[in-house]
Amino acid sequence: MEYNILDSIDLNDPAIYKSFTDRYFSKRYILNVNGIENNDIMLMFHSNRITLLCLAPSHFFFKKKDKYTLNFNIGKIDRLSNKVKGKGKKGGQALFPDSVICKVEWSDGSSFGIPCGMRGTLVEINENLIKNPELLQEMPDSDGFIAIMLSSIAITDATKNKLLTHEDYMKVVNV
Amino acid sequence: MNPKAVYKYCKHLGCCEACCLRYIGIKNPDSYEHVDSFVTIYQDEADKPKQTFEQNEDLENGNDNSLKPEVIDKNVTNGDSDDLTNLPPCKKRRIDVCISCLGVLQEDKRFDSFSMVKNVLAKKKYECATFACALSAPMATLLRERAITLRLAEEFPGYDDKTLTALKEAWKWSFGVQLAAQINKTLDSGAVSPLLVTLNYDYADDMQELEILKQVSPQLFEERSKQKRRFVTEFTRRSVEQALATASLAALQAAGGGLPTASVRALCVGMVCAHAPMYLAGRYIKLSRNLPQSPWILDKKRVLPSSVQEIIYKPLADFYNMDEEEADRRLKLIAAGREDVDVRCLGEGRPFAVEITDPTRQLTADELAKACQLISESKEVIVKQIVPITREDLVQLKKGEETKSKTYEALCIKLSHSQFDDVSPDSPVKVTPEDIARINSFRNTPQNSQNSLNNKSNDHNDSNGDTSDEENNANTLDANGDSLNASPDSKTTKTDIQNTSEENQMAKNSSDAKDIDATPEKNYVQVAEAMDTSLNSEKCDNLSDVKIVIEQKTPIRVLHRRPLLTRTRQILELEAEAVPEHAQLFRLRARTSAGTYVKEWAHGELRRSRPALRDVLRARVDLLALDVSAVHLAWPPPPPPPV
Ligand SMILES: [Zn+2]
Repeated sequence: MEYNILDSIDLNDPAIYKSFTDRYFSKRYILNVNGIENNDIMLMFHSNRITLLCLAPSHFFFKKKDKYTLNFNIGKIDRLSNKVKGKGKKGGQALFPDSVICKVEWSDGSSFGIPCGMRGTLVEINENLIKNPELLQEMPDSDGFIAIMLSSIAITDATKNKLLTHEDYMKVVNV
Repeated sequence: MNPKAVYKYCKHLGCCEACCLRYIGIKNPDSYEHVDSFVTIYQDEADKPKQTFEQNEDLENGNDNSLKPEVIDKNVTNGDSDDLTNLPPCKKRRIDVCISCLGVLQEDKRFDSFSMVKNVLAKKKYECATFACALSAPMATLLRERAITLRLAEEFPGYDDKTLTALKEAWKWSFGVQLAAQINKTLDSGAVSPLLVTLNYDYADDMQELEILKQVSPQLFEERSKQKRRFVTEFTRRSVEQALATASLAALQAAGGGLPTASVRALCVGMVCAHAPMYLAGRYIKLSRNLPQSPWILDKKRVLPSSVQEIIYKPLADFYNMDEEEADRRLKLIAAGREDVDVRCLGEGRPFAVEITDPTRQLTADELAKACQLISESKEVIVKQIVPITREDLVQLKKGEETKSKTYEALCIKLSHSQFDDVSPDSPVKVTPEDIARINSFRNTPQNSQNSLNNKSNDHNDSNGDTSDEENNANTLDANGDSLNASPDSKTTKTDIQNTSEENQMAKNSSDAKDIDATPEKNYVQVAEAMDTSLNSEKCDNLSDVKIVIEQKTPIRVLHRRPLLTRTRQILELEAEAVPEHAQLFRLRARTSAGTYVKEWAHGELRRSRPALRDVLRARVDLLALDVSAVHLAWPPPPPPPV
């Protein structure tokens, strides 16, 4: 076969086996948000400044095995009614680092909010979490992402630069 | 209307002979080519020894006051608007600049313009044997024409201002004809000749004379100056025409008359020669996984050293003696979509066209063959044939981009056990024959009876006996509920297929969606838009046998610059094949509707693309390499049949 696809890439190059999120995103972490221990979130920055909000693996959420539901009604704001228009993502809800995107409510009555960690515009809530809230528990760094956000280049770069890198995070959580 | 009287009147106003003919309404080109001999039929014996002195004398001493617009105007405006009438008569007599065309039609001093054109043509060396010429005249001529036709209408009841022969026409008939002899090309209309010579005439008092329009149409210009406080271009051809359209003679006279004696003539200050674009067509094969279609530049720095575009441009630019910067400006690559940097385009290649702005000539067949050879020597891009096409042919390219399907070959990897796999979790992940069968038989659309009898026909057949089968299928399904029971493959296609009729509906609606690959280019988009109505009806022409309907959210990788939308796309053919020497790998051949994001369909992009390949296998799947193996579009178009 001419130009065989098997010969067109180096199958021994580990880079080609990276997962989707590892291929395109760089991970940053915010620990103990609002002074709450292990209230740890992870922001995944795409090179095009699109940012995914996720729970960090060290979040206390993962230690508790109770049943939970996800609530996207934050005060007067319904995150699920977010709509963006056009290339500029006009009309998206404005986000500040403390803005809560989603609340995790356990069956025992306890709950916590997941803040977004940066200034920007809410582009998309992971709709799959509505039907399949278990994704948050099972695939927190991929299909269980919480939201897609977009900010200016300046804010994105500044946020990215001041947050904990993946390497540093691994050192901190391993201690 | 007596032409002689109009002639005499215009002559008295100060019109040149050619302008007199224009106001009479002469539309015969010859008359303007030989003005001086032609006008004699309108001249009284007294006028015939035509000398400027006498004519001006006439104007000065005429008994009829209405023939002296400047005098009237001066009275109305208390004499402060027009200083030229106050000049001593002797000075005024020397001026014989036409009061209407400002000298544009007056034949003396044309030599400078001719040599200007000759110089430019000598430098550019157009091979085109014909030319068209266009005039960019001072805007004051519009004001003056209006001032004269309004006077004519008053003087000669029933005079229609549509009688006036346009300045640019009269100019073409005299100047253009003379220029043709000078440059040794045949004068033709702009609709026929691709070579256009435009001459720009400047008139020193242009803006100053237009000032009176602010009195005539105060509202129009007040609004304009408000809107454009920063850029004071109040007088555009459009705004002047707008103001003049409703102006009355009284209003013009109140503002100063609009017909002052010209102290200087309009001069030809510049010219532009431009040849209409030419178009070349071909198909490119892209062999590199490290080559973008167009230069990839980030923060003013090159990310990758070359591009398909630059490789194709190089030999063409050399034939036209363009340097790199000029090639970038004058060549434009128009392709039927684009593949990602890391995607190869094989098979017959991707259809493209190159638009050449202001070409000096058509490249010869030998040169085009040589260009293909040089492009292919790059080892990264192969072009087998380049042919000249017309601008109209581009519509096919645009249409193809939106309607035609593409076939891809992908190398995929199975990363986890399938939920269907009945093996120990610790055993190595392998692509099983069941996986392959599952992919090959998967569909979430109803299967029409013809194909369910012989499933193989999916792989080869675009056409269906029943052209309206989409509609029929939707109806069948409503009655049936579960289409899978009708399928011989229902054992292996147990997947999340619900709401199939809804998805089918979406498949139809998707014909409204635009191709994500579109990189619109001004010229051909305009052509394409003109054809858009015919396009819509054909959008789904070969999509009648849809195997899988998918919904894709705008991929994250382009989400920063594109709107967030969910698009419905179709997979028309799908065939998997195990790779014997690599247990985890499998090859995939998929034919998809235009605009399908194949990579996202394979890995599912965090479930933003569904149902994805991994939903078919119920296993984590990723795509390692992707090739476009066919862009299903007949291109280049066949040459027109010989007439
Ligand atoms: Zn004239």
